[in-house]
Amino acid sequence: MTGDTAAEPDRSVLLDIYRRANLIYQADEKFRTMIMGGQLQIIYYSPRGQEILSAALMAALNPDDYLVTTYRGVHDQLAKGIPPRDLWAEFAGKKTGTCKGKGGPMHITHPETGVMVTTGIVGSGLPIANGLALASQLEGDGKVTVVCFGDAASNIGAFHESLNMAQIWKLPVIFVCQNNLYGEHTPQAMSTGAKELIDRAPGYGIKGVQVNGNDAFAMYQAASEAAARARAGEGPTFIEAKTFRFFGHLLGDDSHYIPKEEMAAAKLADPIPGYRKALLERQVSEAELDAIDAEIAEVVAEAAAHALASDYPDTDEIRIDVLGMEIAA
Amino acid sequence: MATEIRIPKIGISMTEATLSEWLVADGAAVEAGTPLYAIEMDKSTNEVDAPASGTLKILGEVGEVYEVGTLVATIE
Repeated sequence: MTGDTAAEPDRSVLLDIYRRANLIYQADEKFRTMIMGGQLQIIYYSPRGQEILSAALMAALNPDDYLVTTYRGVHDQLAKGIPPRDLWAEFAGKKTGTCKGKGGPMHITHPETGVMVTTGIVGSGLPIANGLALASQLEGDGKVTVVCFGDAASNIGAFHESLNMAQIWKLPVIFVCQNNLYGEHTPQAMSTGAKELIDRAPGYGIKGVQVNGNDAFAMYQAASEAAARARAGEGPTFIEAKTFRFFGHLLGDDSHYIPKEEMAAAKLADPIPGYRKALLERQVSEAELDAIDAEIAEVVAEAAAHALASDYPDTDEIRIDVLGMEIAA
Repeated sequence: MATEIRIPKIGISMTEATLSEWLVADGAAVEAGTPLYAIEMDKSTNEVDAPASGTLKILGEVGEVYEVGTLVATIE
């Protein structure tokens, strides 16, 4: 785990992280309420428990840096800055969404905020991230590419090929494994021979950092250092960020395969109240945080209402945006 | 405004569910975030929490199979 020797980020960064984490937290709560109330009928992967990880990671990036994430990535997408109303409409399959309602939650893409692609295939994002990073290297645009994936994705061949290639070519890419200890419904010990995922980094000569992803300070530091390395031309970093998820792999999953004591301990260490407490100890006032919460509640309510009120795309739209040139009717 | 309670979609292949139990009586007060009813599908039972607080008006019957999205109650 990274040490705590670096200076703490300044107050504006700490509040930025809080704001991003709280947006994820409140959006998730609204999504779950609407889905369980039957107002929204989608497959949903709750990020509850992983908010701080994404918020601190994205706060360490520039707005135009690239992100590749997975279908289990609504926290990454919101933290990277996709306007909530556009994201919400896409989740609901409406034509006001980021992909005109034709991509859905599995395929969130928003190049304006650097969210280049969301993949539905486990482990498939890493080679794509290498491609984006190679483009940045060739063009010298100074951008960093971050790719997020889960612990089980580290058993996919593309993970190994990508780490190797990124290291050979010194690509400006950060591989972020959000290790929530379960691949779908399988504990890490049943799917992975390596005791620690970070142990795989030396095998490819790549810089590896293991960090508590639920610790905003440690996560921000690890991400900042990795981004600085990438921008300096020193190559890729593999970050293993430990975290946990409270609502199973997908909503409706009763988490029966997670020992009760493990779940109870994780909830006791819930990073959301934990970070709020850390800020209060750093002379941030309750009133200031409450004001941010209230502002975000309005944004989330408006985004959800906008999504529900928007229309579905016309069926004719199915021919459009698939190829570079439109197909004639 | 009344909050509609519809059968949720909480499984990749889920299209319908059996309403197995109401955990709050018709006409009783419910509190947001507390268990409201149970549904059964694909050999698993899920409790569904109330999305809002108010008075429950039950429309769906226990033992019936309902499609995803069917209105089974309101909370006013």
